[in-house]
Amino acid sequence: MLSEPFSYDYAPYHHRPRIVWPNGARIAFWVAPNIEFYEYAPPESPARSVWYRPEPDIINYSMRDYGNRVGFHRMADVMARHGVRGSVSLNVAVCDHFPQIIERCCELDWELFSHGIYNTRYLYNMSEDQQREVIRDSRETIKRHSGQDLDGWLSPAISNGETTQDVLAEEGIKYTLDLFHDDQPMPVKVRSGKRLVSVPYMMEVNDVPVLSFKHISPSAYLDIAKAHFDQLYQEGAQSGTVMCVPLHPYLIGQPHRIAVLDEILGYITGHDGVWLATGREIAAWFEQNHYDAFVEWMKPFNRASTEGPPS
Amino acid sequence: MSIPADYLVYPKRRPGPDHDRHGHRYLATAPAVAWPGGKRLLIWITIHCEHFPMDMPKEPFVPLGGMDRFYPSVWDYSTRDYGNRVGIFRLMRVLDRHGLRATVAMNSKVAERYPYLLEEILKRDWEIAANGVDMGRLHHGFLSREEERAQVDEAFTTLRQLSGRPVIGWHSPAHSQSSFTPELVAGAGARYIADWINDDMPYRFDTGKGALMQLPLSYDLSDRKILFLHNQSIDDYASQIAAAFDCLDAEAREMGGRILSLSLSPWVIGQPSRIAALDRLLELFLSRDGVAGATGAAICAAWESHDEQVGMEGE
Repeated sequence: MLSEPFSYDYAPYHHRPRIVWPNGARIAFWVAPNIEFYEYAPPESPARSVWYRPEPDIINYSMRDYGNRVGFHRMADVMARHGVRGSVSLNVAVCDHFPQIIERCCELDWELFSHGIYNTRYLYNMSEDQQREVIRDSRETIKRHSGQDLDGWLSPAISNGETTQDVLAEEGIKYTLDLFHDDQPMPVKVRSGKRLVSVPYMMEVNDVPVLSFKHISPSAYLDIAKAHFDQLYQEGAQSGTVMCVPLHPYLIGQPHRIAVLDEILGYITGHDGVWLATGREIAAWFEQNHYDAFVEWMKPFNRASTEGPPS
Repeated sequence: MSIPADYLVYPKRRPGPDHDRHGHRYLATAPAVAWPGGKRLLIWITIHCEHFPMDMPKEPFVPLGGMDRFYPSVWDYSTRDYGNRVGIFRLMRVLDRHGLRATVAMNSKVAERYPYLLEEILKRDWEIAANGVDMGRLHHGFLSREEERAQVDEAFTTLRQLSGRPVIGWHSPAHSQSSFTPELVAGAGARYIADWINDDMPYRFDTGKGALMQLPLSYDLSDRKILFLHNQSIDDYASQIAAAFDCLDAEAREMGGRILSLSLSPWVIGQPSRIAALDRLLELFLSRDGVAGATGAAICAAWESHDEQVGMEGE
């Protein structure tokens, strides 16, 4: 076992190279709907139990299925009304199961990136070759159903292994969401030396941890999201920041919660200095304009650290 | 431990769901339903009348409201039993005031133990739906078909005998089913089941041995989840119920009839600090045009006739 991920170097949030977003925006704002498929009868995983009750765990299965039957369209309608595109964290099997959802995403000009095949097939314990196969399946499936290239990655159920980031870079993935260490994009350290960008994916305003794990009410979620934005918007006057709102249509798309999304998006799009971006656009901008400066600037803070995991 | 090659094989990766219980329906494009009497939004009040035995098993899981403390947890037991003594009568006063009838999802043990309560429910012409025998006898994947059949049959038989009513609805205790539950419920002569939480509207559910209507009994919006599991305030509960009403009412104006399902537990919402909030919500909702209460049986009948008209488009 490793004592740390060895995926990134230390970088104090202090005197960093200045990030300048397109049109001088203070903040890059992006929404990442997780469009997921949890299997009714998934294979066993050696790492964790999949469901919580004896199978079929119909309450937990059907709760998530709600997103694909009802919640998705409700969420998409609200986002479209505010002119906010989604960057979809997609269990790519949804392309096969529910193609109309993918069609609507494409009509709305949303980005699709991979969140694995199913949310019940974990990367845990997979060989690198098996992970490569999942990435290639994702790339081909997304291309076939949308014509889009696969640029981004969030490991299914956040089940990334010790070398997953290395494999992602080698397979041509351009940005990863598996690291929660920063409020700005960052270079990711990978063994090949290829470029991989970490784009902030914010668990503090992700509806699953907030509403499901921490039992926070929708009105308090709204307060959190506004305060989160206010602080990052203020800091963005000095150097560009990122705010990501990760969503799950089975939660935010419920009748008692959807108004909160409407209010969050109305509040944020009501500010001038906001770049309404996708994950791909943020990663590409950072890679082209700021990646090298960050790598160079970070060097003095990391002289004592190891280059990578012990071989 | 390595992952076998077939972990990357996906035999159910095909159009539609990965099981054969029902087809896939996008509610946004489903045919509009017209509720009887020109109503737009039906408020379906389901009241859970449950018996939590003090010696209930801990396995395979303890349902919400089950015995959490060391045996004998008189604390847990008597707190739940409070609902059948006190909370339910507060709910009756509120619903009576608004002229509303509820569906009572009743453990058959409650009907046996508290005949006076059953009589008061029948006096109001509330619907009785079967909700298993008691909360210690869950329906789950570790039971044999015969063990489970005995539980389903005991629940229906007891409730029908004691109430003299047909009892056509079923809710599994704690929304927990085995693979056999739907067919056993259909075999017992039910017409609807209310366990899955993947829709706001009914849909036809294939049990393998006959169809049932699957009715959308809410769980995320239940008092048990918001107030008991999530420990939110009654104001937070009330604002979420009101938000759901506003959302569904707006959709109903554009997309056809909708249902607001209020899943209520007398031991939760029937507390002195909470019951008035429910009263105020119902007052507000029923002051709007096009809003009415309905039982599960009435919704089931309306959906059966809608389903006949639109056919499989509704799936």
